[in-house]
Amino acid sequence: MSALDSQELTVEDAKRQRVRASGLLLKLAGIAALLAIWQAGVTFLDVPTYILPTPMQVWAALKSGLFVPLDSPTGFYIPIASTLANAAMGFVIGSILGLLIGSLMAEFRSVETVLMPYAFALQTLPKVAIAPLIVIWFGFGNGSKIAMAALLAFFPLMVNSFTGIRNTEPERIDLMRSLSASRLEIYARVKLPSAAPFIFAGLDMAAVYALLGTIVAEFLGAQRGIGVTIVQAQAVTDVAGVFAALIILGALGILLHLIIRAIKRRIVHWDERGR
Amino acid sequence: MLSVPLLEKGEFVRPAHAVQTGASPLIAASSVGKTYSTASGEKVLALEGLDVSIAHGEFVSLVGPSGCGKSTFLRILAGLEPASGGRLSIAGDAVSGPSSDVGVVFQSATLLPWLTVAQNTSLPLRVGPARGRAPTGVQALLEMAGLKGFENKYPYELSGGMQQRAAICRALARDPKILLMDEPFGALDALTRERLNVELQRIWQASGKTVLLITHSIAESVFLSDRVLVMSPRPGRILADFAVTLPRPRDFASTPEHPDYLRLTKEIRSVLDHA
Repeated sequence: MSALDSQELTVEDAKRQRVRASGLLLKLAGIAALLAIWQAGVTFLDVPTYILPTPMQVWAALKSGLFVPLDSPTGFYIPIASTLANAAMGFVIGSILGLLIGSLMAEFRSVETVLMPYAFALQTLPKVAIAPLIVIWFGFGNGSKIAMAALLAFFPLMVNSFTGIRNTEPERIDLMRSLSASRLEIYARVKLPSAAPFIFAGLDMAAVYALLGTIVAEFLGAQRGIGVTIVQAQAVTDVAGVFAALIILGALGILLHLIIRAIKRRIVHWDERGR
Repeated sequence: MLSVPLLEKGEFVRPAHAVQTGASPLIAASSVGKTYSTASGEKVLALEGLDVSIAHGEFVSLVGPSGCGKSTFLRILAGLEPASGGRLSIAGDAVSGPSSDVGVVFQSATLLPWLTVAQNTSLPLRVGPARGRAPTGVQALLEMAGLKGFENKYPYELSGGMQQRAAICRALARDPKILLMDEPFGALDALTRERLNVELQRIWQASGKTVLLITHSIAESVFLSDRVLVMSPRPGRILADFAVTLPRPRDFASTPEHPDYLRLTKEIRSVLDHA
């Protein structure tokens, strides 16, 4: 019986693996086709390279930025480090503040009543538009990059922790109340863990937003960063360089997403395996 | 066999039904009422003139149609909601909030998915008035409930029946005088339910707790109880009080064929049908 079960399981597993492998193959084929069409299109239609470079030119630009010593002034590593450091700092500050304010709003009706209109107004405002103001207040140094990243990271955390805490199963709260648990105990031992799946979804968004915020602030003026690399490449119509920087940005975004997801899987392991 | 304090006194003696007239009851409710106001300001009368008296060590079931307010009564007894009127006391003290004398088992097991079985069961020993003390006695409880070897499993790794057993252990963790159970087996399949009924009888006999069980199942109420209280539709009050003197321990092989069992289930059904 159990032997049969396990055999069926392996058959199932093999099938799933095949499906996954063929899916991956299809994706790779898609990318290859896209690159081929791109290369052929640019070559045959004679598109000027200052409009659209060929994939080979983009690859060359990527190589010239990546296959250099870490401290090379023309390499991508110094801007990557600068952008990541500022985005990470903003992410941490914005996430902590968002979690704090979201929690307070969920816990205290009075705080919710007072803050909700502002939260709503700011939520609907395209926050990137605040960037010039941030630069005025925090200058052209790292301060404005961190502030912008924190501002963008703040909202998903605030909204998601608020929603997650408010969605705590009432029976769990009843359980804690029946044990005469204090309000802080109910928050820390039940509401916060219950909201963890929401909070991690917020962190996932916040990581990408923090990167976005940093780049936007860098566009407005900075000494270094991926945003600066893009603006400098654009200034000399090095479109291949712009593409290369965008690819780096995309890769960073995916990396951040994977890191958050890995942490989530460790902490909220009970969520995915079906409650 | 067990190290639960109450058990060391030797075999627990079930009080004769006549005890009611002698010593003061452990749970005494007289003309308890509960009025809700809905969001639209409408007043809903959930309970009215409810009189209940339960002696030390008794196993009492409360049956009634859906929405008759039996769960409301349990919540009031548990100190989770205030009554709107009447007098309610446990061991002579008026009920003013949750008490360590009362353990609650909810409809769903309400185990916290991020805690292991042992951590869930010892939760009452780590929060509220028990905060900061070393949890003890959980191992014995888990053994009694047949959960030995599952201490470090997470709730999602347990069957529904085992989850509810862990929930019962948790309710017993503070060694309360009273166990309040709100349709704890409603979501389980028939066989698991019967098995848990037998287990609950054993746990009750071994621990000497006073149990108030809310249930939809007439069969379950007669099988387990010393007394079955039948409630009217809303506003809920007690329509009938049946003494069940079937010999113990009861089992599903013979008890359901006992003439008294058949007579009682029939009589209770007829009271419910004419309510």
